[in-house]
Amino acid sequence: MKNKLFSLMFVLAISLSAMAQTSLRGRVIDEATQTPIVGAKITLANQNISTTTNASGEFALLYLEAMDEEVIIEADGYVAGLEIVNLKENQSNQLEAISLQQDIVSQTESEILLNLTEEEMTDDEGRSQAQASSSSASTDVFNKTTSFGWSTARYRNRGYQSNAENYYIEGLHFNSMERGQFNYSAMGGLNDASRYKEVMNPMDATNFSFGGVGQSTNYLMGATRYAQGWKVGAAGTNRNYKARVNATYSSGLMPSGWAVAAQLAYRFSPYIDNKGIIGEGIKYYSLGYFLTAERVWDNARLKLITFGAPTERGQNAAVTQEVYDLTGSNYYNPYWGYQNGKVRNSRIVKSYDPTVIAAFEYKIDEQQNFKVAAGYHYSWYSNSALNYFNAPDPRPDYFRNLPSYMWDGQIANPNNETSAQQLFDENGAHYPWGLFVGKDMNGVPYGEGFIGHDGNIVGPSVDQDQYNQLVDLWKSRDNQTTQLDWDKIYAANIANNANDPTGSARYLVERRHNDIQEATASFNYVNTQFEHLKMTLGAEGKFAQGIHYKTIDDLLGGNQWIDIDAFADRDIKELASNSGFTQEDIANVRKNEIASDYNDVIKADGKRFGYDYRINMGNFKVWFQNEWNFNEVDLYYALALDYSSMQRTTNMLNGRAWYLTKVAEERTGAEAWRYYGNASYTRIKNAESAGTLRAGTNYAGDAHHFFDPAFKLGATYKINGRNHLKVNALAQTRAPFARDAYISQRVHDRVVSTIYTHDNAKNLKDFYAASEKIVSADLTYEFNYPIVRGRITGFFTQSWGGTELNGYYDDEARTFVNQAMTGIDKRYMGVEAAAAFQLGTYFTLTPVVSVGDYRYTSDAMAVSSAENGMPMTQDDVTKSLVFETTDKVLLKGLKLSTGPQVNASLKLSFFHPKMWFADITVNYHDWNYLSVAPSRRMQGLYTGVRADGTSVNGWFGDSYANAIETTDGRTVRFSMDGNGNVAYENAVLDKNGVPVLRYPYNIMTMQESIVATNPLNRFIIDASVGKLLYLPNRQSLSINLSVTNLTNNTHFKTGGYQQARLPRAVRQGEADYHNSVITANAWKYPSKYYYAWGVNFFLTLTYKF
Amino acid sequence: MKAIKNPLYFILGILVLISMASCEPKALTAEDVLVSSEEQLAQELVKENPNGYTIYNINDLLSQFMGEEGNFMSDSSLYRTRAYYDGLYLFSIDTLPTNGPGIYIRGRVVTDDYGGNFYKTLVIQQTKDWTTGADIDQQNLRISVDMGSAGGMFQQGQEIIIRCNGLAIGRYANQPQLCIPSNNNNIYASSATQKVGWAPGRIPSARFRKATRLIGAPDKSKLVYETLSLEDLDNKYLSKYEDVVGARKLDGRLVKITNVHFTNSLDSFGTEMQCHIYNVELSPVDGNPEEDQYAGTFGPTTGNVGYPQSRYVKDASETHKVLVSTSEYAKYAYYYLPAAKYVGSITGVLSYYMDNGNYAPDGGEWSISPNDMGDILPECQKEDADPRWIPTEWKKGTPQPEE
Repeated sequence: MKNKLFSLMFVLAISLSAMAQTSLRGRVIDEATQTPIVGAKITLANQNISTTTNASGEFALLYLEAMDEEVIIEADGYVAGLEIVNLKENQSNQLEAISLQQDIVSQTESEILLNLTEEEMTDDEGRSQAQASSSSASTDVFNKTTSFGWSTARYRNRGYQSNAENYYIEGLHFNSMERGQFNYSAMGGLNDASRYKEVMNPMDATNFSFGGVGQSTNYLMGATRYAQGWKVGAAGTNRNYKARVNATYSSGLMPSGWAVAAQLAYRFSPYIDNKGIIGEGIKYYSLGYFLTAERVWDNARLKLITFGAPTERGQNAAVTQEVYDLTGSNYYNPYWGYQNGKVRNSRIVKSYDPTVIAAFEYKIDEQQNFKVAAGYHYSWYSNSALNYFNAPDPRPDYFRNLPSYMWDGQIANPNNETSAQQLFDENGAHYPWGLFVGKDMNGVPYGEGFIGHDGNIVGPSVDQDQYNQLVDLWKSRDNQTTQLDWDKIYAANIANNANDPTGSARYLVERRHNDIQEATASFNYVNTQFEHLKMTLGAEGKFAQGIHYKTIDDLLGGNQWIDIDAFADRDIKELASNSGFTQEDIANVRKNEIASDYNDVIKADGKRFGYDYRINMGNFKVWFQNEWNFNEVDLYYALALDYSSMQRTTNMLNGRAWYLTKVAEERTGAEAWRYYGNASYTRIKNAESAGTLRAGTNYAGDAHHFFDPAFKLGATYKINGRNHLKVNALAQTRAPFARDAYISQRVHDRVVSTIYTHDNAKNLKDFYAASEKIVSADLTYEFNYPIVRGRITGFFTQSWGGTELNGYYDDEARTFVNQAMTGIDKRYMGVEAAAAFQLGTYFTLTPVVSVGDYRYTSDAMAVSSAENGMPMTQDDVTKSLVFETTDKVLLKGLKLSTGPQVNASLKLSFFHPKMWFADITVNYHDWNYLSVAPSRRMQGLYTGVRADGTSVNGWFGDSYANAIETTDGRTVRFSMDGNGNVAYENAVLDKNGVPVLRYPYNIMTMQESIVATNPLNRFIIDASVGKLLYLPNRQSLSINLSVTNLTNNTHFKTGGYQQARLPRAVRQGEADYHNSVITANAWKYPSKYYYAWGVNFFLTLTYKF
Repeated sequence: MKAIKNPLYFILGILVLISMASCEPKALTAEDVLVSSEEQLAQELVKENPNGYTIYNINDLLSQFMGEEGNFMSDSSLYRTRAYYDGLYLFSIDTLPTNGPGIYIRGRVVTDDYGGNFYKTLVIQQTKDWTTGADIDQQNLRISVDMGSAGGMFQQGQEIIIRCNGLAIGRYANQPQLCIPSNNNNIYASSATQKVGWAPGRIPSARFRKATRLIGAPDKSKLVYETLSLEDLDNKYLSKYEDVVGARKLDGRLVKITNVHFTNSLDSFGTEMQCHIYNVELSPVDGNPEEDQYAGTFGPTTGNVGYPQSRYVKDASETHKVLVSTSEYAKYAYYYLPAAKYVGSITGVLSYYMDNGNYAPDGGEWSISPNDMGDILPECQKEDADPRWIPTEWKKGTPQPEE
């Protein structure tokens, strides 16, 4: 009763102020439950005016023109409604309660999407499978269709990386400051909690923040948004988890002025002990909780929100095509094996990101309001991995364990019977070609044999019978061969206990923690006191700390782990004179001997080892936006100024950081630590001489500061109520993310060279020297008719000076190498278009298309250094060791690997008023490219000389003959002219004027398309069918089945990466740093891929009461 | 739907499901991963071999299956096993039947590759006759396995049993070994076409793991070292088995040679020559193990060719000598050789390596391969030793210390 009274008062208040105007009022409710729908969008099609419903589902539109008007009512999770009204002049026009029907199809889709976006797969080298764009701007035909339909293909809006999209919760920025991405797993499975959101297209005027070059999404979690009552649901699927149960309760707005809502969602799958099905070797447990309370006063509201989703899930990996072919399955997963006959996955992600948010809105008067919000979250994120010391690599898909390794990339020439290298079997018949070798990177076999540098044809190196024995083990999915051999791994540790009880375990499962905690606050003030003008002023502040360390998950029967770097221990000669080099924490350990008493012995007690450092980050932003709305034109502009900072601190001083700093000091004088960015070095040296050096002390590196301005503006020209023309533009700079700023952050403090250190910054420009510069513009035509509505947009974005970090195992240096790239320019341009045609009463046909061209427009510079601290090369002349090499990466012209660049779909939807839903979508994707490994595109590989003047260790195949020694003692591949310039007389120049060696260059640098060869396999067909059943007493039951990839297309690659590792061999008798050969069999380390799942389904059952 | 009277039951249900969340499988123990008794072993082998099986003594396996020419590609006129020299087959391959009764060998791992002196090679030792159960003179066999740091899984002192079916037994540079056939097409070698051809190659890691069981915990004390003086070694073995064929029988033998000293010398095509002294002021190259294969360290560079480097030890008479063999990848490779005044023992695997008649007209050389520095004059490294040898690593720019 009280509730109704409140509503009545609200309506009255509006009525009073609206007297003697032409106005429209109404109320939107859920047809099934008769409860109000909050946040529904009401649009008058002819006058292009819109508003949203309040907590009671009510809306009011004032100052209207009297005319016949179409009222479009849209709400997330509901079928859009249309009402025709005759607006009478100077009257308060009242609409009956508008009831909307639940769109259970889109509800299921958003649920699947939420799951998909948290499935970010990360491999050893820090690469992730591209995430799909997740936001669906509910009222935008393009976004609504693409966000789900194209997610299978990992379509990304406008080709942007996920860090271009900004995510907010109640106006608080929630992208990680360290990596720039939004962490979906924080809301694991909480489909109701994350249902309500504002999604802004790139560069649109945004009322909750400045936004950015990509879409901006603001999740709205106030309790009044949730329909009163209970909702329980269950779902079954054959995706990574198998079942989900959930319950949601909402009180609705209670007489006390409070509303509360809560959701609990549990998703699970036990270990899947079936080879060759989705999720093999994976387990999945996730419990999501969400609690929100909202207090509503007349002119204010307070929201208190908390949510989190403790999750534990197994991972899988991209593998090479050979492995997919051998195992005959796209679901092969190398991360698991049998232990005691039970499945065990070595890669278990544990994540939990508890979040608390408080938001307060206050309406100062009719023309002014403000919002303040504050939030905090601590994100535990860790994944486990097998590590090993002085023991064989346990990975089943390690390249040496595959049949192709027996061939070692060598193939026979069946056409040359006279060659001494020709290989015959015992019956005199030719041996067949290798099954996987001898193909180019698109899997197309070479027509001719492989010719070695001496002109001989290279034959295979393996007996076919032996080869087949290994192939058979793979094809039969032999447990010990194709999966982790936990028995032998345990045995190694148990045997080691007998041999060396105080020695380091040979294997362990370690847990790599990448936690982040963030405290964030925002302020937002809106003023509409001037006619036609809306002014918004905002401020955002954030403190974040990335926390990175390792702990032991499982010693696998071993007694202890000794904390030294295995690669350093293996590779570094002269250990005796480089005390502490192998040690992860020099403060603990002063000796190198493994058996030394000084070693840091780690047991599975949660103690941190390996590395333990933090990145402290701060950010403060102010922004200001003016929007003018006139009858024919809307205009806006916005300005923002962003300050950010980062600083690494460490609790462990890595022995390699210490050593490298000492080397630099010897070479360049006392200030060398500056060169290494290792501000802690002097402090530690002082502590050492004072005898106060001890473990666990926090040593801080240099702080780095950035100032980044941003500006955007836009205009909408309303040709008429149904046809609009919009233009937007943006210019901004963006500081590098901490993840990309440090060249080897597990080891030392050094940042990329474009980042200033505070001593050498001379002017303001230095504060954004390292920032990426971005300009962007788009032009949109929107149309809105009863039978068709949609839009077409052209966009263009150019960025300059981006920074990226890659890591990989380098065969040349024979160690893990970090490669920091700077100066990356990119261009994104394209057209996106969508239209929804109403075909009669029941059907809607929606064609959608996006054609883009997303590419690198420059080469980049890369600094490479070995994680184990070993030298990368040696100076030709001085013979001194070089620990970092700088070289140009030939990226210009390459396509970005941010999903398919051509996408089209046709969706036919069916809706029957008796609450039957069905749709079928045919999607087509093309122009999809594999990400390139910078290591394969180093200029030095093709010229023999790096940008820093050092020569490259090794050459490709037949270029050896051209190598000469210059007068200054350098060895180069090509002859020099009279001025000492490389003459390139034997070289072919690429389009950048860089000399290339045709044959290997083509193989090494060709950008691989991941599009299926057969055009039919570029289609993905999805369908869904649902039924909503009304039950007595406002109860309802819905059932929905969504089937993705209906035709079970198993040829659809969604991504992957080129292996960065380069094949290397030693020219016998001639090898030192300069005489190793980067062999021409570039396919020795072929690309790894992810495939789209074959046919998969999601069945939901929801009961509301 | 009336069953859901109270939604709290539903939530309770969720919580029950959560409590069912499984943990990782229970940890494995020694009993799970090591064969703990002869009975267990016999049971497992019976189960694995419906056609029966035999555990061969190493020497029996060699005499029964390893022919002089080998059964693999030895008679191919087009393409054959490499390096036939002067009437001797230095290389051979005999494939072992894939099917039929199980063929096993059993022994204890002698090598430890952590020191870097053994690479993708295990040597096993057998000291008991598998048919009679009697103690016998040690029998040893190399196993070539494509597994880096194999000693991590197959540790020194570990007793293992290997199912050899489908593998091969062969000789590489006259050294018998368990292997698979492999072809060296040597595309990166600019010379030595005689190196091209079939030869014993490494058993793929997965196949070796699958073929091998671990018996009990490793016990290094059960390894048998034949202790003898250099004179005894010379008279008993080296001079006796100077012929290439005879040398095969001793290859892999674990010996401890007493009372020897280094002479800072090496073998250069059959002639003893003195190692170069490192004095950077005279030459940055001479004696520099990164550049000079004649440096006075255990294993200077070979330019990544990878053959082991050898340095002589002699006894007090200075007439008996044998080479100590060190890989350039060994952790102790760049340590200076001990001076002649340090007298002690050398422990290691006795080897006779002859890959190519052209290089060694006298028929190859005997050498001893230690596992690591601990096998080299350990008596002199003790704290109370007099004189005490403190191993010194070469350091660039610092002249070689004088002893």
